[in-house]
Amino acid sequence: MRIHKTCDGVKRRDFLKVGVLGGAGLSLASYLRLLEAGEVAEKSRGMSAIFVNLPGGPSHMDTFDLKPNAPTEFRGTFNPIDTNVPGIQISEHLPKLAGCMDKFVILRGVSHTLGAHALGQEYVNCGSRPLPSLEYPGYGAVVVKETEQNNPTDLPSFVAVPNNTQQRPGFLGVKYAPLNTGDTPKAGQPFSVRGISLQGGLTVAQVEKRQGLLSDLDATFRAVEEDSQLLEGLDRFSEQAHSIITSKRSRDAFDISKESPAFAEPFGADPFGLSCLLATRLVESGVRFITLQLGGWDTHQDNWTRLSKGNGRSPGLLPQLDTGLSSLLNGLEQKGLLESTAIFVTGEFGRTPKINTRSAEGGRDHYPRCMFMLQAGGSVRGGQAIGESDEKASMPANEGFTPDDVAASFYHNVGIDPAKEYQTNTGRPITIVRDGSVIRKMFA
Amino acid sequence: MRIRLILSLAICMTLVGASWQTATADDAIAAINQRFASADVQETPNFQKHVVPLFGRLGCNGRACHGSFQGRGGFRLSLFGYDFQADHDAIFNEDSPRVDRENPLASLILAKPIDEDVHEGGKRYEKDSWQFHVIRRWIEGGAEFKKEQVQKLTELKIVPNEILLSKTGEEVQVKAIAIWEDGSQEDVTPLCRFQSNDDQVAEIDQNGLVTATNRGDTHLVISYDKAVVPVPVIRPVTDLVGDKYPQVAARTKVDELVIEKLRKLGVVPSEVCGDAEFLRRVRLDLTGTLPTAEEVKAFLTDEDSNKRGKKVDQLLETPAYAAWWTTKLCDFTGNNTQNLNNVSSVGREHPPTQDWYDWIYRRVEQNVTYDKIVEGIVASNNMPPGQSYTEYCKMMSDVYREDDKSYADLPAMEYYWSRRDFNNNMEARAIGFAYSFMGLRIQCAQCHKHPFDVWSKDDFHQFKNFFARIQPAARNAPREYRDEYNKLVKELGIEGKRNNELQRELPALLKEGKTIPFGAITTSNRLLRTNNPDEEYPKFDDGKLLGGDVVDVMKVDDPRKVVMDWLRGADNPFFAKAFVNRTWAAYFNAGIVNPPDDLNLANPPSNKALLDHLSKGFIESGFDMKWVHRTIANSDTYQRSWQPNDTNKLDERNFSRAVPRRLPAEVAYDAIQQATASNAKAKSLCDSIDGRAIAIAGASARNGGNNGPAFALAVFGKSTRESNCDCDRSSEPSLLQTVFLQNDRDVLGLVDANRGTWLDGVARDLKPQPTTDDAATGRKSASLESQLKAAETQLQRFKKANNEQQVAKAERRISQLEKQLNESNASIAKVTTQPHESADEKVTSYIVDAYLRTLSRYPQQSELTRSVAYVQEANDPVEGLGDILWALINTKEFIVNH
Repeated sequence: MRIHKTCDGVKRRDFLKVGVLGGAGLSLASYLRLLEAGEVAEKSRGMSAIFVNLPGGPSHMDTFDLKPNAPTEFRGTFNPIDTNVPGIQISEHLPKLAGCMDKFVILRGVSHTLGAHALGQEYVNCGSRPLPSLEYPGYGAVVVKETEQNNPTDLPSFVAVPNNTQQRPGFLGVKYAPLNTGDTPKAGQPFSVRGISLQGGLTVAQVEKRQGLLSDLDATFRAVEEDSQLLEGLDRFSEQAHSIITSKRSRDAFDISKESPAFAEPFGADPFGLSCLLATRLVESGVRFITLQLGGWDTHQDNWTRLSKGNGRSPGLLPQLDTGLSSLLNGLEQKGLLESTAIFVTGEFGRTPKINTRSAEGGRDHYPRCMFMLQAGGSVRGGQAIGESDEKASMPANEGFTPDDVAASFYHNVGIDPAKEYQTNTGRPITIVRDGSVIRKMFA
Repeated sequence: MRIRLILSLAICMTLVGASWQTATADDAIAAINQRFASADVQETPNFQKHVVPLFGRLGCNGRACHGSFQGRGGFRLSLFGYDFQADHDAIFNEDSPRVDRENPLASLILAKPIDEDVHEGGKRYEKDSWQFHVIRRWIEGGAEFKKEQVQKLTELKIVPNEILLSKTGEEVQVKAIAIWEDGSQEDVTPLCRFQSNDDQVAEIDQNGLVTATNRGDTHLVISYDKAVVPVPVIRPVTDLVGDKYPQVAARTKVDELVIEKLRKLGVVPSEVCGDAEFLRRVRLDLTGTLPTAEEVKAFLTDEDSNKRGKKVDQLLETPAYAAWWTTKLCDFTGNNTQNLNNVSSVGREHPPTQDWYDWIYRRVEQNVTYDKIVEGIVASNNMPPGQSYTEYCKMMSDVYREDDKSYADLPAMEYYWSRRDFNNNMEARAIGFAYSFMGLRIQCAQCHKHPFDVWSKDDFHQFKNFFARIQPAARNAPREYRDEYNKLVKELGIEGKRNNELQRELPALLKEGKTIPFGAITTSNRLLRTNNPDEEYPKFDDGKLLGGDVVDVMKVDDPRKVVMDWLRGADNPFFAKAFVNRTWAAYFNAGIVNPPDDLNLANPPSNKALLDHLSKGFIESGFDMKWVHRTIANSDTYQRSWQPNDTNKLDERNFSRAVPRRLPAEVAYDAIQQATASNAKAKSLCDSIDGRAIAIAGASARNGGNNGPAFALAVFGKSTRESNCDCDRSSEPSLLQTVFLQNDRDVLGLVDANRGTWLDGVARDLKPQPTTDDAATGRKSASLESQLKAAETQLQRFKKANNEQQVAKAERRISQLEKQLNESNASIAKVTTQPHESADEKVTSYIVDAYLRTLSRYPQQSELTRSVAYVQEANDPVEGLGDILWALINTKEFIVNH
C-alpha cells in the first residue's frame, strides 16, 4: 500500500497523474513546448517499429562506409557502387539496397567505447551505456509500455524472431518481455510459433470447450479479485492469452504462406529474408515491436569471403542482408506501412579499419570507435548519409554520434520522448535515454 | 555515534492512550520565520543550519534544478545538500559568483529567487519575506562558511512523535526541534522538508500541517540537515478500536505484536486457515515444493493436535528446504553466471555458480548459523596461513579431482568477491555488500546525500574503503605468489597460453593427476582505487563503518574481518534485521519493511515492535535460520486464511490475512512438473531435488534460451541476480506466463499422456488396449516366441546328431527364453488387468486425484459435479481428464500461493 518514492520524493501516483501527458516531471506547458519544438512526435499511437540486430559487429568499411582511397592495409577488397541517390555509395555486395537508398538513412561515424560483444549489444539495444547497478529496458519494452493502451489484445505486442536475449525489459519487468518465436519461418509454409499456434492437433473448438471448463473451475478467488492487483492481472492475462491462441488474426499474422507469391518472392528463401517477410505481416496485423536477427558478423578471419560469398556452411552475409532488408523496406512501402514503421538496423560495433593478418585473407577485429547504423521509416527522410568518418574510417570526422543520440532519434521517430523519466524499482529516476539528443538532420 | 542517533530518533509505537507530549520547545530558539520576519533583523544566519536547509526547502538543490549533476543556469548545488564546502564553492564560483559581498542586494541568490533577474525556476519567495532576509543577512554577514564549524545534529525532535487521526479533514501541526551537539536547540520547522508516505491517509504541507484524508496507517517523513525522521500516523480503519475490539487470541509473541497493531487500526484478523490451506502454503514457502496428493491426504487424516508444528519440523529437514533457501541466498549474494566468467581455472567443467550453490546448500542443510555462512562468504580464505601456494594448488586440485571431495568442504566461498561487477570497483563492492547483508541501498550516497537516510557522500566513500584491500580470487595466482605460479605453469608446459586454451587444457591436466594453478583471495597491502576514471569520489584513507567507528583500514590485518565482527555484533542495526525481514517477506508477500531490501529511515517498518522482536530473537538464537522459519511458520499470523473479512480486505502490510501471491519462477516450474507427473515421479520430485528448478545453481539475464527450464524460468521472472536488488526476481503476472500455461508445448506435453505423466497412467488404467509401451512389450514377446521356436528346432537337430554338448546348451537357452517370455507376458497382463471400480467411479477418483495434486485440496461438490459432467461429455474420458488437469493448472488457485 506504500507509495514508493523516487530520490526526489516524487511519488508513483504523481507519475500517473502526469503519465498520460507523456512524462513525469513534465508540466502540461513544458510538454506543449516540447511538442512545438518537435521533441515529441504526435503520431506515436499508430507507429510500429522493427529492430534489426546484426550481432557480431558488422564491418563498417566493407558495407556502408567504404574508403576506396585508404591505404591497402585498411582498404579491403570491396569496391563502392553508386546508389539511387546521387553522391551516396555503398558496397558492391549490396546492390538491392543501393537501389532503394532513397528509403533509408546511413549514420556514419557512430562511436562508443565498449568493445566486448555482450556489453556492446546491451548498449545498442537500449541506447544507454550499461551500468552494473541497473538494467536499462531495451527499445521494444519501452515502445510497448508507451503504447500499452492502444495495443490489440488478441496479438502479442512484442515479437522477437527468432529470439532476442539482448533487448531485455530491464527494470520495467518481465511483462514487457518479447514473445520469442524460437525459430524462423520456412518459405511457403505456415509458421508454428511456440505458445501461439495450436499444438498437437488441437482445434479452436476444443480449446474453447476447455476454456469454458477453466472459467467454471477458476472461481475460488472470484469474490476478492477486485481487491487484488495480482488476481485481477492474472485474470486479464488469462483472457488475453486465450484470445491470442484462438484468434484468427494472430494465427494469420504468423502465417507467411498467406502472402501472395509475387509479394513474397523478393524476400528469397534465407531465414533472414523470411523473417523480414514475417515482420511485414506482423506489422500489418498490428504487432507493435519486432526484432529480427542476422548474426555471424564477427569476422576476425576471412572477412571478405564471409561477407560476400559465405564459407560453405552459411551463405554470404551481405547478400542475405541485401535481400532481406531491401525487401523489407520495399514490402512495407507496398503495403503502405513504411511511414508508420520505424526501422533501426545495427550491430554492436564496427570493425578495425586496419586489417589483421592472422589468417591468409585477413580479418577485422572489434572496433566500437567507429561504426554505422541505419534508420528508416516513419518520418525519417531517406536518401541521406549523415555524419562522416575520417579518411581511414577510424573515428568520426567531426563530432560523430553516440548510440544514445541514435536511440533518442529512434524514439523520436516512434513518437516517444527520449527524455521521459521512469523510476526504477529502487526508486531511481531514469530518463529513457540517458544522454542522447535527437539527430535533427534525419528528419529534415 | 550515528547508531545512537538513529536509535534516539526511532519512535516508540505505543499509541494506546497516547497523551501527546506537549512541545518542550521552551529552551529552543524561536523559529526562523519569526526571527527574520522584519527587515531590521540583526542576526547573521548560519550556512549549515539555515542557508543550505533553506535551499532545500525552496527546492533549489532538487534534482530538477541546481541539484542536477549538470547544474542549472551555470549554477550547481549538491543534490539534497550536505556537501557544504561544494555548495559554498559553487556560490563563489569565479566565473559566475552568486554573491556580491560589496553590494548584497545585487547578489544573484537574492535577485533570482524573487524573479527580479530572470529565473527559469520562477519566483521562489517574495522580496522582504523572511526567506529573503535570511539570505540577505547571511550575505551581509560576510557569506561565510568554515568547514571546521560544521556541527553534528544530535537529534531532530518531532512533536508530536506519533499522530492518531479520527476524521477526514482533521489537522495537526508538526513541530521540529533541532538539538545540536553543543546543546543548543532551535525550532527548525520552517526549514524542514515534509512528506507523507501515503497521502491517501494523511497529507502534510510544506509547513508541517498534517491533514487527515482516508483511513489507514502510514508515516510522515521529516528531513533536516542529516536527519530523516519517520512519524507514524494512524487513522483506524473501523470503529472496532479500544474496548470495541473483539477478543482475538494471541498464541505466540509474533501474534501478540501483530494484533497489538491491528487493534489500533481496528482491523480484525482472518480466521486461522484449514489444514489443506496450511499444508500447501507452508510446503511452498518453506520448501518451494507442492505437496503430493498422498501427502495432502495423509495430513488431512492425521489427528495429532500438533501436526502443523510437526510438519514444519519435518519440512525443515527436507532437501527441498535446503535447496529453496539456498536459491534465496544465491539471489541475495548475486550468484550470477555472467559475473563469474573466467574466474575459475576449471570453470568450464566445474562452474563456479555450482560451487557457490553447493557451498551454501551444505550449510543450510546442516543449519550452520547465518553469521558463519556470511563470514565464509565475505571474510574467509581457503588458503590457510602458512600454506605455500603450491600446497594450496595441490589441495584445490584434489578438491576437484576426487569424488569424495567438494568445494563445499572448503571453509570459504571465495567467489563473492570475484564477481565481475565488483572488479576493481570499490563502490560496487560497497553497494553490493550493503545490499546482500544489510538490506540497504546506499548507492544514492555514492553521488549525493541519501535523500531518505542519514548517509552522506563521505559516509559512503569511507565505508567503501573496507573493501579496498580485497584482491579477489581469479584464474591466476595472487600477485605475491607469482613466482610459484610461474614455476607451476612451466612444469605443466602451459606457459603463455591464452585464456581459451587454458580453459580446455587445465581440466585435462587436472584429470591426468597434475596439480594445476588456482586463484586465491588475498589482502592487498595498499588501498586500491577504483579502476574507472569516470567514478567520482572523494579520497579517504580511513574506513568508517556505517553509523559506527572510524578504523584505519591499513593498520588492521584484514578489514573484511572488522566489517564481519561489526555485522554480527548484537547492536548492529542491519544484519539480523535484513535477514529476518527478507524471510518474513517470503512468507507474507511484503516485508515488515517493504521493499525488503530497502531498510532506510524514510521507509520505516509497518510494525517496528515485531521487527525488533524477530531480529532480537534471531541474534539470541545465535543466528539460527531455522529459528526464524519456525517462529514465523508456527504463528497464527502465518496460518491465517486468505479469506478476508470486512475490516481487513485491503490490508497488505499489517499481516491480518494471507495475501495471495504468484509462485516464484522456480517453484512454479517445479509445481507444474510435479502436478502433472506420474505418482512415482511426483513423489521423487517432491522428496529429492534431482531435476528440480530450485536446484539450478546460476542465474543471469543473458543465458535464456528456448529449451528446458531456462525458457519457463525467464518467463516467470527468476531472479537475474544482476543489479543488487530483490526486484531482480519478478513475481508480477504477465501475458507470456498465461500463454505458457495455456498453450506451450512443454506444458501441453506434460498434461498429455506421454511417458511418465499422470495422464499416461490414467490412460493405461482406463483404456485396456495396449498403449505404446504395451505394444513394445507385445513385440518383445513375439520376438521371444520366434527365438524359442528356432531354438526348439535347433534342439531337435542336435538331438538327431547326438551332439550332447550342444543339446545341453540349447536346453539351457530354451529354459532361459521361456522364463523371459513368461515375464514379458506377465507384464502385459499386469497393465491390462481390470480393477474393481466401475468406469464412473474411476473418473471421479481421478478428478479428486487431480485436485489433490494441483490445488492440494479435495474438490467441492459443485466442482466435482462440473468436472464429472465434463468428462462424461468428452469423446474419450482420458481426453476429458486431461482437460481437467489442464484447467486446474491454469486456475489462479494453482499459480498463486494463498
